[in-house]
Amino acid sequence: MSHMVPKPWTWLKITVVLTYLFMLIPILVTVAVSFNAGTRSVFPPEGWSLRWWREALSEEWRSAILFSLKLSVTSAVLSTALALPLAFGLVRHEFPGRKALILLVLGPLLLPTLATGIGLLQVFHLTGLFASMGFAALLIGHIVICVPFSVRTISVSLGGLPPNLEAAAASLGATRWRILIDTILPLIRNGLVAGALFSFIHSFTDVNLSLFLAGPATSPITVKILGFLEFGFAPTLAALSAISLIIPLIGVAIVQRTTRLGDFVYAER
Amino acid sequence: MAGDHVLVGRHGMWRIDSQHDGSAIAISWYLIAVPALFLLVFFVVPNALLLSASVFKSEHQVLTSELTAENFALVLSKPHYLRAIVRTFIVGACVGLLVALVSLPISYFLVRTTSRFKGLLIAISLAPLLASVVVRTYGWYVILDRFGFVNDVLVDFEMIENRIAFIPSTGGIILGLAHALLPYGILTNIAALSSINPNLETASKSLGANRIQTFVHVLLPLVMPGLIASFLLAFSISISAYATPAILGGYASQTIATLIYTFIMQVLDWSLGAALGTVLIGSTLIILLLSFRFGGRKVQL
Repeated sequence: MSHMVPKPWTWLKITVVLTYLFMLIPILVTVAVSFNAGTRSVFPPEGWSLRWWREALSEEWRSAILFSLKLSVTSAVLSTALALPLAFGLVRHEFPGRKALILLVLGPLLLPTLATGIGLLQVFHLTGLFASMGFAALLIGHIVICVPFSVRTISVSLGGLPPNLEAAAASLGATRWRILIDTILPLIRNGLVAGALFSFIHSFTDVNLSLFLAGPATSPITVKILGFLEFGFAPTLAALSAISLIIPLIGVAIVQRTTRLGDFVYAER
Repeated sequence: MAGDHVLVGRHGMWRIDSQHDGSAIAISWYLIAVPALFLLVFFVVPNALLLSASVFKSEHQVLTSELTAENFALVLSKPHYLRAIVRTFIVGACVGLLVALVSLPISYFLVRTTSRFKGLLIAISLAPLLASVVVRTYGWYVILDRFGFVNDVLVDFEMIENRIAFIPSTGGIILGLAHALLPYGILTNIAALSSINPNLETASKSLGANRIQTFVHVLLPLVMPGLIASFLLAFSISISAYATPAILGGYASQTIATLIYTFIMQVLDWSLGAALGTVLIGSTLIILLLSFRFGGRKVQL
């Protein structure tokens, strides 16, 4: 911008570089430590090796990673499925209690996840089902905390559509379901995909909810790493942390090829 | 969003007429009822149960029907618990301030830069959101531990003789959380700054104001809602964070969240856990009201 006098702009740039360093260094340090040849978690690494990655990909940890993937993918798909009709009703209709429904939908984003986790644990205990629920207990909780993300992105997509689109399709003789499947879904595809991705990331990186709903055999990777950290910062855990970072990154990379995620990010808050 | 709004979508502007509500695809209401019911049963009921459990006595994960204020009295009477509560809010306030202040310059840069890497730069600033708290905390441990990077450097340069335990400590919690929540501050401040016309600053300067005057009198009042919003957002997420205090705070620096975990999962005293949970929910609600009032936050999708 031409009206910028260079000098303060330079100071700003220095501040910005420092901020980026502050944000990225702890994450890069974790990744570096995972390639350490020594047995201590130190930075800079004492030589390089893949031994901790081999250990992180051993049978025990692999099943925990797969468990997390299964949980997050299922939560993403189901929360997006639940979010679609909600977003539709909220964007396209005015009705009494609409504000209340918005609060209900955004609630899991506004109130502490920790409290929802404890509350769910208590509900499941009271019904006497918790012991037999396992995966289902986690899944229900994760769907709850993911719904707001999907509703938001789908709403952004729906908001961008002409309001008389359905009427136009109907006047051409399309039935309700055909309108939904042939006309609307393809147009809001980006919102659905972005919602599912954000839900996946939110679920995959969650700790506060899973902490209370996980069991010994049903522990997402984050909770499992956290549990082991109590006994020390083994380099294997650095490799696992790195893996838990790579998976959402891959998700973003795949989706970004077809969907401009930036369009939805600012709708997040 | 029905009502007499003008929506700016990616396909241009659409006037939405609130009378034109009977769209052809009048959605079947039971389609909304199913997800709404789901949230009612698995979100509202659990939180309501948690709130009510705080006023009942419990024995070994079983709530009795005896009404009591004992749980709150106990939580507020023990110095250890009280310290944890006070610490939690101090941590929240410090993290909120750090996040709001540190995210402002970078947000200003990201909004005003004409770099062709603008999109990439924004993406990098938000990328830490993809890292779970475990990844970040691990890094901070390696950097701050007694035998960690910072100590190594200080010893190598002979600036200290005895190694310093930076963590576990309350300061460690604040640093870890501020780091984790910075992207939220950036998102909030970018949104606030985007709506400020850059010509205002030019105008201010052409009227003779220097940079500091321009910043204080023109820019600051305009970004204030964004700063307040990011402060409150970071505050509200920090007070209920578990993993960062658990790892970087340790037993000596407990917070409400780590106490709750101890009560619920280890001591199995659900009433005390619920009482502290109620404190968290109550504080979060107050913060929400504040951010609706001062942070320009709205109940909208």
